[in-house]
Amino acid sequence: MKSNIKSLAAKLALGVAMVVTPAAIAQAEEVQLYHSWSNESELAALNVFVSALEAKGHTVVEMSVPHEAAGSSPLAALVAAGTPPNIFLTGQAGFYRDLRDQGIGQEVGSHFKATGAWENFPPKVQEAIQVDGEIVKIPSGIHIDGMLYYNMKVAEAAGVDPTAWTSTADMFADMAKVKDAGYNFLGLGGNSFQAGYLFHALLAAVAGEDIYTRFYSGTPDVTVLDEQGFKDAVALFREIADQNDKGWVNRAWNETTNDVIAGKTLMQIHGDWMKGQWRANDKVLGTDYNCINIPGTKALAVTVDAMGILGGAGVSEGMLKAEFEMASIVVDPVLNSEFAAHKGSTPVRMDAPKDKLDACNALVLDSLAIPGFSVLNPSYIGDQDWINSVWNAIFTLQGDNDITTGDFIATLKSEHGAIFD
Amino acid sequence: MANIDISEREFKHYPPKKKKIKGSSIITFIFLAMIALAVLVPLYVIIVTSFKTLDQITLGRIFDLPTTWTFEGWNKAWSEVCSGMTCNGVKAGFFTSIKILIPSIAISVGLASITGYALALWKIKWAGSFLFVLFICAFVPFQVIMIPLVLITAKLGIYGTFWAVAIVHGVLSMPFLTLIFRNFYKDIPPELINAALMDSGSFWRIFGEIVLPMSGNIIIVVLILVITGVWNDFLIGLTFGGFGAQPMTVILANTVITGTGAVRYNVDMAAALLTALPPLIVYFALGKFFVQGISAGAIKG
Repeated sequence: MKSNIKSLAAKLALGVAMVVTPAAIAQAEEVQLYHSWSNESELAALNVFVSALEAKGHTVVEMSVPHEAAGSSPLAALVAAGTPPNIFLTGQAGFYRDLRDQGIGQEVGSHFKATGAWENFPPKVQEAIQVDGEIVKIPSGIHIDGMLYYNMKVAEAAGVDPTAWTSTADMFADMAKVKDAGYNFLGLGGNSFQAGYLFHALLAAVAGEDIYTRFYSGTPDVTVLDEQGFKDAVALFREIADQNDKGWVNRAWNETTNDVIAGKTLMQIHGDWMKGQWRANDKVLGTDYNCINIPGTKALAVTVDAMGILGGAGVSEGMLKAEFEMASIVVDPVLNSEFAAHKGSTPVRMDAPKDKLDACNALVLDSLAIPGFSVLNPSYIGDQDWINSVWNAIFTLQGDNDITTGDFIATLKSEHGAIFD
Repeated sequence: MANIDISEREFKHYPPKKKKIKGSSIITFIFLAMIALAVLVPLYVIIVTSFKTLDQITLGRIFDLPTTWTFEGWNKAWSEVCSGMTCNGVKAGFFTSIKILIPSIAISVGLASITGYALALWKIKWAGSFLFVLFICAFVPFQVIMIPLVLITAKLGIYGTFWAVAIVHGVLSMPFLTLIFRNFYKDIPPELINAALMDSGSFWRIFGEIVLPMSGNIIIVVLILVITGVWNDFLIGLTFGGFGAQPMTVILANTVITGTGAVRYNVDMAAALLTALPPLIVYFALGKFFVQGISAGAIKG
C-alpha cells in the first residue's frame, strides 16, 4: 500500500512536472542586448539591469560595440539584416523612426502609465523619451552634459575654492594660482566627442536656452551665429582649449578624468558620467572630489540615457513580455538608483529613495526643477548632419590656435548652407 | 704553361676586390634603415611593454627592458580581459577567426584560381570586358556595398554567422585575386594547353592535372595575402558577425577600449600581439615561397 502511494505520488509529480516545465521553459527567453558602453562604471551599471533580468529566468546575449570603435553602424547593419536586437542602448531619434517605419518599433508609454512610472519622471525625461510624440524610449539615467568636477585636494593645495566662482571670469582669475602650484588647470581630452559635448554645454551655460535652441533645434537659425552670446561661448571654448595641457591629443574622456583623479589637473568640465570614474577609483564625494555647475550657468544641457525594445510581428509574446520586464527593471526606483550609483547618473524617477542620492544627484534634480534652466542634448532636437558639422568644426578649432571665432562662424555658415539650402 | 695560366687567373681574383660603397647605396641603406626602424621601434616597445609589470610601466620609460619579466599581461589578455560585460579574454575571438579563415581561404583561392585560369587560357567571349569590370570592382570601397551585402547575406539566412563573414571576404577578394591568378597563368605556353586539348583534356581536367600542379608559388602568395587580410580585418567581421561571429580583431578593439580606471598597457599590448601572431607565423613559415611566387610572376603587370 505504502509503495502504491509512493508510486502514485511519483506519477503525480511527473505529471505536474510535464505540465509545468514547458510553461516555465516558454517564459525563459534568450534576450539579445546591444550596447556601446565600455568603461568599468558603465558596465557595472548595466550589469544591475542584466542581473535583475537574469534573476527572472531569462538569459542575456550581449553584443558590445564601444562607441569609440564603430559608432552605430553595426546596429544599423543588424536592423538592415532583419535581425535587430531585442534591447538596444541608443538615444538617437532617427533609429527609433527607422524601426517605426519598418513596423518593428515598440511603444512603451502605455506600460509606463499603467505601472505608475510616467508621472514620476521629471518633465525633461518625459520630453526626452518621446520621438515624434510617441513614447518609445526607456529612460535609464539623467546626465548633465557639462558639469564641473574638481579634485578637492588639488584645490586646497592651490588655495582656490571653485564653489566661490560665480562666473567663468572668476574661474579663470584663479588659473594662475593653480598653475603656479604646479597643476594643470582644466583638463580637456582630444576627440570630437569631448569637444562637441563641451561646446554645447558651454553654449547652454553662456548663451542660454533661446540661443541654444535656435542653434541646434530643427533647421538651425543661421542668424544666431552672429549673436553675442554665441560668440562668447566660442571665445570661452577657445580660452579653455588654449590653457589645456600638452597631453590632450587623442586623450579619452576617462583618461582626462584620471588626470584629475590622480591630482595632475584641478578639474574637468564634461558629462557628469565622469562621477562613475571617480567612484570606480574608490574616491569619495565631498572628501576627494566635488561637483558644481559651470560657474554662472544660464542653462544645463541634459542627456537622458535610454534604451529601446523591439516590437512587431516577429517578436513572440514571451519575448515581448521579457522585454517589458526589462523596461520595468530599468525604471524601478531602487534598481535605477543602484544603476545611477555605478554610472554616475541621476535616477530618472523623482520618487527614487533619498538615501540613494548623493549631493551631485541633488544638485542635478534641483537644477532640473528650475523652469527654463535645462535644455535637451542636441541629438534629441537637432539634425545629425548639423551636429556632426559642429563637432568637426569645434574640434578643428581646438587643435588649431590660429582659428578665430570669425573663422569658426564662417565655417558653420558654409556647413549650414551645404546641409539645409 | 696551362697550369701557370690557371694559377695566374686564380691569383688575379684572390683576395677578392672590396666593393666600393657608392653614395647612392648609402642613401638607399639609410632610407631602408629608417623604414625598418619605423616598424621595429614601435614593435619593440609593444613587445617589452607586454612583459612589464604595471608598476614599471607607470614610470614611463618605454624603451627600458622589463626589470621583472612577467606573463601576467599575456595570461590576462588571453583569458580574462573583458569585451563589454563578457570577460573571457581574446581567446573566444581566436577560435571564431579560425572558423572564418578556413572557408574564406577555400572560397577565395578556389574561385579566383578557376576564374583566373579561364580568363588567361581559354578563349571566352567578353573576357576582356569581364576583366575590365573585375578591375573596376577592385576599387569599389566596401562601405558603398556594405548594406546591399548585409541584405544579401540576410536573404541567404547566414547573417550573423561566420559563413557570412567568410563569404563576404571571398567575394570582396575575388577581383584582386583573379587578376593575380590571371597574370600568372597567362605566362603558361598556349602550346601546352593546346596539346592537352588534343589529348581530350577538358576544362576541369586540364586545370586539375596540369595547371594546378604548376601553381604552387602563386597559391602560396595568395594564401599569405588572404590570411593576412582576413585575419586583420575589423570592419567586415564587425558588420557581418552580428551576435554570433565576432572575430578576434573586434574582441581586441573591445578589450582595449573596455577600460577600468587605469589603462593596463601590458595587457593591451599582449592582446594586440596575440591577435597579430597568426599571420606573422604564416608569413615567417612561408615567406621564402612568397618571394619565389612574386619573382615567378605572381604579382606583375
